[in-house]
Amino acid sequence: MAPLLKMRGMVRTFGALRANDGIDLDVQPGQILGLLGENGSGKSTLMKVLFGMLPPDAGTIIFRGRELSRHHPREAMAAGIAMIHQHFMLIEAMTVVENVMLGWQQAGRVIRTAAIAAQVREASRRFGLHLDPAALVATLPLGRRQRVEILKAILRDAELLILDEPTSNLAPTEIADLLTILRRLRAEGKGIIFITHKLPEVLEICDEVVVLRDGRVSGRAPVAGASRARLAEMMVGRDLARAHKPVPRTPGGVRLSVSDLTGPGFGSLSLDVRGGEILGVAGVDGNGQIELTDTLAGMRRAQAGRIVLDGRDITHAPVAARVQAGLAYIPADRASTALVRGMSVAENLMLRDSGSSPYARGPFLTPVPAATKAQKLMTEYDIRAAGPSAVVMRLSGGNQQKIVVARELDRAPAVLVAHQAAWGLDPGATRFVLDQVIALRDAGAAVVYVSSELEEVLEISDRIAVMAGGQFAGEMPTAEADLKQIGLWMAGRPE
Amino acid sequence: MMAPVSSLPITAFKGRAFRLQLREGLAGRILLAVLLSILCAAALVALSGHNPVEAFGAMAVGAVGSPHQIGAALNRTTPYLLAGSGVALCFRAGIINIGAEGQIAVGGIGATAAALAFPLDAPFAVAASLLSAAAAGAVWAGFATAIHLGRRVHEVLTTLLLNFVALLLVQQVLAGPLGQFGAGFLQSPELPRAAWLWRMPSFGAHSGFLIAVVAAASLSFVLWRTRFGFALRVAGSSRPAAAYAGFSLPRLTWSVMLLAGALAGLAGGIEVLGVHRRLIEGFSLGFGFKAVTVALLGALEPLAIVPASLFVGLLEAGSLSMQRQVGVPSALVVVIEGLTMLFVLAATVRRA
Amino acid sequence: MTEFLAAAIRIATPLMFAALGGILSERAGVFAVGLEGMMLAGAFAAVVGTWWSGDAGAGVLLATVAGAAIGLMVATVAVRFRADNMVTGLTANILALGLTSYLLRVLAGGGQPVAIHLTPLAAWPIPGLADLPVLGPLLFVQPPLTYLVVLGCLMLALFLRHTQAGLTLRASGENPEAVFAAGGNPLRVRMLAVIACGAIAGLGGAVLSLQQVGTFTDGMTGGRGYLALASLIVGRWDPWAAAAACLVFGMAEAFELRLQSFGVPVSSYIVHMAPYLLALAVLAGLGRSSKLPAAIGQPLQSD
Repeated sequence: MAPLLKMRGMVRTFGALRANDGIDLDVQPGQILGLLGENGSGKSTLMKVLFGMLPPDAGTIIFRGRELSRHHPREAMAAGIAMIHQHFMLIEAMTVVENVMLGWQQAGRVIRTAAIAAQVREASRRFGLHLDPAALVATLPLGRRQRVEILKAILRDAELLILDEPTSNLAPTEIADLLTILRRLRAEGKGIIFITHKLPEVLEICDEVVVLRDGRVSGRAPVAGASRARLAEMMVGRDLARAHKPVPRTPGGVRLSVSDLTGPGFGSLSLDVRGGEILGVAGVDGNGQIELTDTLAGMRRAQAGRIVLDGRDITHAPVAARVQAGLAYIPADRASTALVRGMSVAENLMLRDSGSSPYARGPFLTPVPAATKAQKLMTEYDIRAAGPSAVVMRLSGGNQQKIVVARELDRAPAVLVAHQAAWGLDPGATRFVLDQVIALRDAGAAVVYVSSELEEVLEISDRIAVMAGGQFAGEMPTAEADLKQIGLWMAGRPE
Repeated sequence: MMAPVSSLPITAFKGRAFRLQLREGLAGRILLAVLLSILCAAALVALSGHNPVEAFGAMAVGAVGSPHQIGAALNRTTPYLLAGSGVALCFRAGIINIGAEGQIAVGGIGATAAALAFPLDAPFAVAASLLSAAAAGAVWAGFATAIHLGRRVHEVLTTLLLNFVALLLVQQVLAGPLGQFGAGFLQSPELPRAAWLWRMPSFGAHSGFLIAVVAAASLSFVLWRTRFGFALRVAGSSRPAAAYAGFSLPRLTWSVMLLAGALAGLAGGIEVLGVHRRLIEGFSLGFGFKAVTVALLGALEPLAIVPASLFVGLLEAGSLSMQRQVGVPSALVVVIEGLTMLFVLAATVRRA
Repeated sequence: MTEFLAAAIRIATPLMFAALGGILSERAGVFAVGLEGMMLAGAFAAVVGTWWSGDAGAGVLLATVAGAAIGLMVATVAVRFRADNMVTGLTANILALGLTSYLLRVLAGGGQPVAIHLTPLAAWPIPGLADLPVLGPLLFVQPPLTYLVVLGCLMLALFLRHTQAGLTLRASGENPEAVFAAGGNPLRVRMLAVIACGAIAGLGGAVLSLQQVGTFTDGMTGGRGYLALASLIVGRWDPWAAAAACLVFGMAEAFELRLQSFGVPVSSYIVHMAPYLLALAVLAGLGRSSKLPAAIGQPLQSD
């Protein structure tokens, strides 16, 4: 059978980085192909090239027997390719039917809202999507929003669907529903490219898997015979041995005590973390994690409850006071919260401590001691940059995060709240961050480590709690972690 | 839901920041912009049937041809420099304050009222009037800030609308308590001599220019060497980062707006005490926009705004002679200013 | 009373045109701070065009072109070069002020502005409807451009809700990335929206100079562009609501004129402040709206 899609020799570079370095890919009709790889392996770039969002430097794409070249998303869609992005391309202020009609020739110059709404209901019924055409997208939960994207693909008679990390925002029940929908699409003869970095999903839904590493295909196999270890090895290129498991320690006294904390998007939450202990908070992103971490750090106001750090009530303390009290915070948004990308390394290192020595004396800044300190931190934390006055925007993600870590940890905080601290980092940088957090714990600090990567949380924490629907669904010591129970907790309240 | 920086090559720049800064070769680009706008102006002159070289020549002579003319140019520069520095600081913090015109106007009211109401000896008269001018400007900026922060109305609208109100307020007080009856047009009585600013002999430039330069230098120091300045720059780059850094955005907004208002008010007071020696209607017309122009031309750096405002001041001082001698309308200067701003904006935005 | 309302409608018409144009621009994602300059350019071109050609129709057409030219300037710098929307709009206003004053004098060949005096456009009574009691003389005996603005409101409302182009325009103001992913070109949409905004606001200027005053004077728009901006924000970016807000401002000014004619001892300056204070009060009262287009003012990604 002729393949639905044939990609040969795809090359795409960004400056010195060869994001795609000669990749071949085939997709058959009625097949779900898994595209597996870590962050930075080149998966997203390859799909953007396929969809016409980026031009390739070299390579050919043949879709349904015809060549696609120098095309934009418009031509890709007309040919029958649909892309469901990881961050949905929807207009929240508009209804489902309006989102479907956007950019769709068939809806007409004068848009035939009623007719399209009928089509939406029909397709929704056929594929089990449960979508109301008149619903405002802003009111839909993330799982439903994704279905609007799938609906668009179906109505436009897409033959090939590309799903980019489709489960990253879904709870386990929603994931199960998604997979059901995908099986129905496969049964209708559609081809599906399923991009992910999660091995279990590949094994569950895909027929064949292509593994990318550093811009090249490092392995290709039908899923039927593949083993998890083999796939992991293809993904990472080395034995996925857990680098040193944190030595269990006897924790000290309670350093952070949160009681009945409530705020918009979460509540009420209670937790106690002792010195020398890491509380891992797992859970699907979007269940109140950022609301919790921001409130703990003082960036959002608590509506009710108490936060006590080393005996001090900091519930309503401003951010600066919390820093003084010994609270460190690594926010998830590296780009525009944790760092000011347009400023220098030195300025970012002093971002939260600009009132104290050696960065300032009274209201005046002291540039010379600041530069010395910055140099010292750069050496200590291995921040690779031209110098303290290098602009942060130019640095790699790993080095940027090292700045954040250096700044927060150098203060020898009593409590660290970390949210997605290793997101988007290559394995080396991830290792570094995790090691630093563990070292801080060993020095006696209390750590709240929030992440949507369950593996990471399991690796680093002493106790693990699961957040779902803005609350703690459950908690247990990591040593006794029961994955099935955790999965159930993550599912939270079903839709 | 927060999406951390991923493998996307470029991320959308969220949060309101005024994206004019931090490019290599900024000075070169700005000079190029100025050059381009002069070329366009030359074309306009040629189109109207006059000789551009002759016209610009007359402008230059008009600007620096004699000590008296240089003095006049310096006097014109002063309010732009003062108000422009304040505006630049606001822009650095991501706050688009375009209320300088209104703040200058009420500054003039403040200076006049103080000089007329409390006849003191020099130098107290000058000090008291200028202080009152600065205070008036700060209060006016305060109104705009209160509505902006309290009711979340964009500061561009609040500062802008208040400009119109301020101009009418000047007319109102001149028709009333501060006016001079029987004058024929709206003006206040001449202010007592003790309140006049000292004027340099033969140049006729008043001491306001020195005040303005000192102010600009101080602001530059504040911007780069104080914690407050650091906080402003962080706030202008990224609002979430400023909150994370522990800076209070409302407090920063109030501080920088009151400061800018005081500077603009001071400029108004200096205009009244140094140039006109009385309050006249419309004395502040166009100054607000000029402040923005010089702020942009100076790349939001107060020290660079000194030459930038000198440039604009010289242009304007020369334009009247140009109109008189060559017949090219002085409005050409406004065109040059507008074009310069346009080209500077186009050339200096950071390609994120 | 009808006199009062008729005056209000007359005063509000230029504002309405500008507000309609501004809605196009803002809903596509570009702040419409340049309305003042677009109106002024249109006012100038309308008068000069009519004076040159002797035909008011040509003047109106020229007004549209002049406004669109300012729009093109704003579009290029703010959208294509991604400069700050607000400051670009301000710059356009300054530039329009300078250019119109300059050209006005150049036309006379010297330092003095050329004196143009045109008869303001006469009212076109609609046969039949004009004879209705009360409503007749009020609504149906208006100069032609006033009818046009009502038609404009209707057309804009239909365009935004019921056409693919309108949908794409709204989407560009909410989430331009989604427009790109859907195969559209948000850059082109925004630029066209701003140019169209200029053309329509230019018509508003034409109303002011041709239909109401009969001449052009320096800076004659006097802040109307900003009032129009305030109206469209108060009207939550909806054509009919914005038009209503413009009418309210028109009534404020008409009221002020009546007070003067009645010899009421309120200072004319205080009364002149009324529209601006009213705008401030209403904006403050309503606060920030959730209907603000989500991506307004945000630069387009370069990808």
